[in-house]
Amino acid sequence: MLEINDLAKRYGNVVALDGATFSARPGRIVGFLGPNGAGKTTAMRCIFGLARPDRGEVRWKGAAIDRTTRLRFGYMPEQRGLYPRMRVGEQLGYFGQQHGLSGKQAEAAGRRWLERLGLADREKSKLEELSHGNQQRIQLATALVHDPELVVLDEPFSGLDPLGTATMTEVVREEAAKGVGVVFSSHQLDLVEDVCEDVVIIARGRIVAEGPIDELKASSGRRHLDIEVAGTDGAWIGALPQVQVLEHSGGRMRLLVDDSVPLDELLTAARSAGELRKFSYQPPRLSELFMEAVAEPETEPAEAAGLHR
Amino acid sequence: MSRARSIWLVARRELLERGRSRGFIFSVLFTTTIIIGSFVVPVLIFGDEGPTRVGVVEPAPDRLDSAITTTAVALDQDIAVVRFSDREAGETALLDDQVAALLIVPADLSTPGELAFRESPDPTIQGVVGSAVAGLRVNAALEAEGVDPTTFVEAQTPPTVRALEPPEEGADTRFLIANIGAVLILVGVFSFGFTVLTGVVEEKQSRVMEVVLSTVLPRDLLMGKVLGIGILGLVQLAVFVVAGFIAASLTQEFELPATTPGAAVQLVVWFILGYTLYSTALGVLGALASRMEEASNASTPVTIVAMLSYFVAIFAVINDPSGPVAIAASFIPFSAPMVVPMRAALGAITPIEILVAALITIAAIWVLFVVGGRVYSGAALQTAGRIRLRDAWRSAGQ
Repeated sequence: MLEINDLAKRYGNVVALDGATFSARPGRIVGFLGPNGAGKTTAMRCIFGLARPDRGEVRWKGAAIDRTTRLRFGYMPEQRGLYPRMRVGEQLGYFGQQHGLSGKQAEAAGRRWLERLGLADREKSKLEELSHGNQQRIQLATALVHDPELVVLDEPFSGLDPLGTATMTEVVREEAAKGVGVVFSSHQLDLVEDVCEDVVIIARGRIVAEGPIDELKASSGRRHLDIEVAGTDGAWIGALPQVQVLEHSGGRMRLLVDDSVPLDELLTAARSAGELRKFSYQPPRLSELFMEAVAEPETEPAEAAGLHR
Repeated sequence: MSRARSIWLVARRELLERGRSRGFIFSVLFTTTIIIGSFVVPVLIFGDEGPTRVGVVEPAPDRLDSAITTTAVALDQDIAVVRFSDREAGETALLDDQVAALLIVPADLSTPGELAFRESPDPTIQGVVGSAVAGLRVNAALEAEGVDPTTFVEAQTPPTVRALEPPEEGADTRFLIANIGAVLILVGVFSFGFTVLTGVVEEKQSRVMEVVLSTVLPRDLLMGKVLGIGILGLVQLAVFVVAGFIAASLTQEFELPATTPGAAVQLVVWFILGYTLYSTALGVLGALASRMEEASNASTPVTIVAMLSYFVAIFAVINDPSGPVAIAASFIPFSAPMVVPMRAALGAITPIEILVAALITIAAIWVLFVVGGRVYSGAALQTAGRIRLRDAWRSAGQ
């Protein structure tokens, strides 16, 4: 288990991390979310010793992380980069060896990954001769070539076409199925909702929400109600307590409802208003949870606090 | 995995990637060709001509041949004499360039005779043949007057030669070795040292730095780079030296300078120390730059220090190898690699001084690796603009 305890880091006057605490379990895929500048990259760099926190620590399996521990981690930084003029096969071999594999093991592992990613025929090509998408695949293979126990991917989906996204998703799922801990950051929240089991949301250097997506949704205290009632203008809504109209066009409405309002009451009210054509009662989407979680505390303090478990 | 293996992997990557690159192979081949050419081409152009041939038409005095060759040797010329049975044969040979000149002198030396050339007269041959003929005629005249031959042989003895300040045995070689050391280190700094500098900037520019540093410690990355490029540099130098040596001995234009093995070992050791010191400093400064264009600016301090050290060595130290400037410069890490082997070659330094100077330089290299490793980690991931040394140091700190 990866534990991040109370990390704080400032660059000059800019606070990058302000007491961030979260964890990632083996075999689980954690989506690490937050607006730009929230501290995601800094937190990831702290895991790899690339940034030295002013306070707090990172632990792996209960022990502080050192160079030897990091050899069992894999990292794909946000700013991609490999040696442009180095051959692809040798590049993977080099990084494999730097992670402790022998020359032969690293070569075999590199070949396996190239085959896995459909690039077996490019082993002898220089990296710069590959297309952008294929360079991204090599970058992923670089992070995984040594069969790490923990993989940290910073924005792995950015700049990928749908095919690349599919491969990336598949690989990430397979790794997690093998028991590898996977942490990745992304702004594509629908994708995260699809791929991840857990999310960690960071804003202004602090963790504002953390946990399994389902639990976060369930505990949000708010429900969305998509409703369509024929033959009414929607005036009946005014009679209901604790309901906010998000969208309204004719008989169709999207409502925000507090989960304390009984479902029966809502259904009865809708039925009595007219002919009910659609009634969909759902927890908020991840993107909605995200927007609430990262909102400035001055504007919506209650919601942000409510989400933080 | 040990750090030593990590360092070696970095070094090996540099060695393989650079050593196999077309640019490197081409530049080594090119330089080697130039070195070999500089020995071979003069021989091909000017050739090994052998002696200049002068024809003599029979009948001629018996002693003429030996008189000409002896005079030629005395004047540091190589002249051979060819006899022709008659004037016509001789002139044909002259017109065919088989001989450079044709001499016709009566056997009794009654007249000075005639020296014929094909086109314009060669003053050297003119001088040699002229003195030989004149000498023979003077001898003949004196003998006819009844003078004892030993008297005029004795009278022809030149004055004895003496130098008031004769040069020391092997002084030229020592001077040469002393200068070669300083030049080699300067070359090492400006070629291999700058390869380290650009290598660091390339890693920053291609953004591969962050991936590498997630596994390799900054100090180890710097050490590996310096080591790999250093080995490549030494191999390159060795190829040049061996190629030059073989070419020189084949064309027989070269004698191995009579130097002690000690001086040669010192040259190699100080080359390694000097290269390591300067290239480490350049690697650290390279980490402060984000783009190639900034790298040369960032490296200016090292360039200035290297040039200053070189000038101190070739102007101050070589003139007064035991003076205060020379002694002080031996104990300053950046000038020691140029000054110490120079003083050693000139025999103006004690073994203790050499040892202390070497230890100071090694200590300075170590400090550079430690300081450099920290600056490196502070600056390596900042890819915008030029980073100040102090900021890099701080951001890597607690």
